[in-house]
Amino acid sequence: MSESKLSTAEAELYDRQIRLWGIESQEKLRAANVLLIKIRGLGSEIAKDILLCGINSLTILDDALVTEEEIFKNFLLSPESVGKNIAEAVLEKAQALNPLVKITPDSESVDKKNAEFFAIFTVVIATGLNSVQVLEISKYCRDAKVKFICGDNFGMFGYSFADFQTHEFFEDKVQLTGGQKRGIDGRITKVKSERTVVKVCGKMEYVDLSKVIKLPEAPMKPKRRNIYYYLMLALLQFRDKFNRDPMMESKEEDVKELKAIKDDILKLYQVNPDKFKEEVFDLIFGEVVPVCSIVGGVMAQEAIKAVSGKEVPINNVFLLDPFNYSGREENVV
Amino acid sequence: MMAKASAVPIVLKAEIQKLIPTSKILVVGAGGIGCEILKNLAMSGFKDIEIIDLDTIDVSNLNRQFLFRKEHVGKSKAMVARETILNYNKDINIKAYHDSITTSEYGVNFFKRFAVVLNALDNRAARNHVNRMCLAADVPLIESGTSGYTGQVEFIKKGLTQCYECNPKAAQKTFPGCTIRNTPSEPVHCIVWAKHLFNQLFGEDDPDQDVSPDTADPEAAGDAGVEALAQVDESKKVERKSTKTWAQETSYNPEKLFNKFFEDDIKYLLSMENLWKNRKAPIPLSWSSAASDDGDQEKSKNDVHKEDMEVWSFKKCTEVFSSSISMLKEELANKNFLVWDKDFKPALDFVTACANVRSHIFSIARKSRFEVKSIAGNIIPAIATTNAMVSGLVVLLTFRVLAEEYEKCLTVYVRQKSSESNTVMMTEKFLGAANPKCYVCSKQPMVDVSINTKSMLVKDFESEILKKSLNMVAPDVVLDGKGVVVISSEEGETAANDNKTLTEMGIVDGAILKVDDFLQNYELTICIHHYVPKEKEDPLYKILADMDLQAKSEEGANGKENGASSASAADFAAVNVDDDEDPQEGSSKRRKMNPKEEDDDDMIMLD
Ligand SMILES: [Zn+2]
Repeated sequence: MSESKLSTAEAELYDRQIRLWGIESQEKLRAANVLLIKIRGLGSEIAKDILLCGINSLTILDDALVTEEEIFKNFLLSPESVGKNIAEAVLEKAQALNPLVKITPDSESVDKKNAEFFAIFTVVIATGLNSVQVLEISKYCRDAKVKFICGDNFGMFGYSFADFQTHEFFEDKVQLTGGQKRGIDGRITKVKSERTVVKVCGKMEYVDLSKVIKLPEAPMKPKRRNIYYYLMLALLQFRDKFNRDPMMESKEEDVKELKAIKDDILKLYQVNPDKFKEEVFDLIFGEVVPVCSIVGGVMAQEAIKAVSGKEVPINNVFLLDPFNYSGREENVV
Repeated sequence: MMAKASAVPIVLKAEIQKLIPTSKILVVGAGGIGCEILKNLAMSGFKDIEIIDLDTIDVSNLNRQFLFRKEHVGKSKAMVARETILNYNKDINIKAYHDSITTSEYGVNFFKRFAVVLNALDNRAARNHVNRMCLAADVPLIESGTSGYTGQVEFIKKGLTQCYECNPKAAQKTFPGCTIRNTPSEPVHCIVWAKHLFNQLFGEDDPDQDVSPDTADPEAAGDAGVEALAQVDESKKVERKSTKTWAQETSYNPEKLFNKFFEDDIKYLLSMENLWKNRKAPIPLSWSSAASDDGDQEKSKNDVHKEDMEVWSFKKCTEVFSSSISMLKEELANKNFLVWDKDFKPALDFVTACANVRSHIFSIARKSRFEVKSIAGNIIPAIATTNAMVSGLVVLLTFRVLAEEYEKCLTVYVRQKSSESNTVMMTEKFLGAANPKCYVCSKQPMVDVSINTKSMLVKDFESEILKKSLNMVAPDVVLDGKGVVVISSEEGETAANDNKTLTEMGIVDGAILKVDDFLQNYELTICIHHYVPKEKEDPLYKILADMDLQAKSEEGANGKENGASSASAADFAAVNVDDDEDPQEGSSKRRKMNPKEEDDDDMIMLD
């Protein structure tokens, strides 16, 4: 029996998802090696979902130490974790989620990692990166044909963006067949319409993420876009500029700064400033676990699609509306 | 000094932040969504949580019900969920009940203690019940469900929004008995037949689950003549004896059983020539020819793929038929009867083998055991990611309910991303308005029941109409105007009425019944209409909540358009198969996702 085949125990454990995405997808997941960069609130959600689905291995890369604040936002930590390396501190509870997955904590800084490090993974999932890191890592991934997805949670807002390069996929579509059939004896027999499942293949090109998160040098031709795309860009710019995220403690100054950044961005993309509700800046502070649960669910599902090649993935940006909680794909090219 | 770190999201308004640690929350169901909700509540600073679930942990739960581990299999979901949550945060006050929410201990006063009730249930009956309890207690309810990649979160509050039962849910798919017994055309027909055969041989006697040829099939009228009857006179005698008795007398000889069901009965069907004028006729299959047909399959043992995923050869079918029967026979030795269970291997094996042999006989596509299990067990696929999304939405809405920002508690649908749509989560624009004629939440709930008053017994009226269809738990029924107590929730009080027909009780066309369910604090007026089904496909009874819709529905087929629940006359209560819509077909934005039911808490089962 070859290694790639599922055991009876695995078939039983993963039964309810195999019934959704099929045994082929499950076998691809079983062979997948996933890198998760940063395991904070959002990262813990992604880790949970991706461990439960039954991948081969998960490497958790995070050089941060656990703060008192963090234990309230990350269910994989406990009060005793404070002061320890976070990648190592989550190991016990992460492993409990699925004993079949090999989990490797890595406490080095993401900036110390080179191209070879990223090349060995099937998919790289990242959170909390600044633009420079995103562009560098996504380039390594692109060169090595490793699927890459990155996302963040800012208060009630969340997003993700992905580079799956050239992504081939298939979906099962239901077709109705039926009508009349002429039998061998020449008689016409009624055939009840039957639902048959057909495999439909597709191919998708993802753009380099520099086209998604790097601001243009000169004003762009106006384009209809989900307004939260610009919020995402503003938050990334803020992170790049201050090397931190907006904080409640410095809300007033941070919002002022964000507004200025946002104004510049809207000018560059020639967006009518009235379309951007500034109240949204009240909603972008801290990590909100239920939002992490949503965005983490979306990102993990996209990673599963990246690995299995089943179902239509989001190409390339996902944006969660912080007011009404709708979630949409935005195709940025 | 910096404020003490806390799990409560700092981004929320101060008044909501204050309410979170003190608000009492009830989570109904500790399955896929329930586990995620509990985690989200605990990690958002909620400190007063109660969880109730009747279920115990199964291996197939562990791919998403992440509060449980392998060593917890067989234990109470509610209890283990509580322990794991306390392991996340010791400061939470969490109370667990390993119990059914529909029992009388959880009455209106129980529900009134909560600020919000969060449903994470797996079946429509319990959902309906909690809906009524929350209406009666006037407690806000957040209802949720998932099925594969899709899901839904809906806020329900008395007097403000629609209730869970305002829009009748699609009735479960039923098949006419003669399709199952005489003219199957789809794999599911053969699977249903095989389950009935299981019950006939090993289960509790149920005349609605006959598996033999149906001579009353109107399509075969005048066809199964003297000749046909004479020809199979022997097997007719067998019928009268009951299949189970006969099988026991043969001591469950697999060859004899096989030849009866797959050769003799099929020959009899062939004699009903009218049936095969426009259909491909079935081909009888004998034990000896099946046992020698090994197909072109190579043998490979202990391979999940081959055993579970591939369609068995006929030889394999006969082997499994024989071995599963002997195991079931042994199992039956210590019991009065067996109950079909998709997770009991001999039972699933038996159904797989029989369904496939029958499919072959009728030239229908055969299915692997894996596929048969899905169909026979009404299994709805479930994944962690959809549950995570839905439960995140549930707790975000909980924040808004606490702040009484009800107008912002809009229904959200989680949908599968497709090539045609860029939507992953779709939010309604407005709260769903209550149906003024809802038979649950309107001021004077009323429903029309069309039924054969001359033949329906009081006990069947109680079990089929009041409990099964109208989801009552302990109804009291009084015949209006006469003050006659027809049904009492006090045990035995009206036992004398049980076997009387409705007519004998004075319940005739035009009668008004006042029904009161004390537990649900729910009073319903039922207008009785005498009705006799004309065609075999007509429903045996009709329940209509809205008189305005009735005229419309009578034009349509069986009144199913407006979701009136109905059961086919030809096949009363016999066939329940989940009418699962492929998520990809759910193109209509407004289409209500009807979470399907199964035995896991994020799913539904109809069987
Ligand atoms: Zn209602």
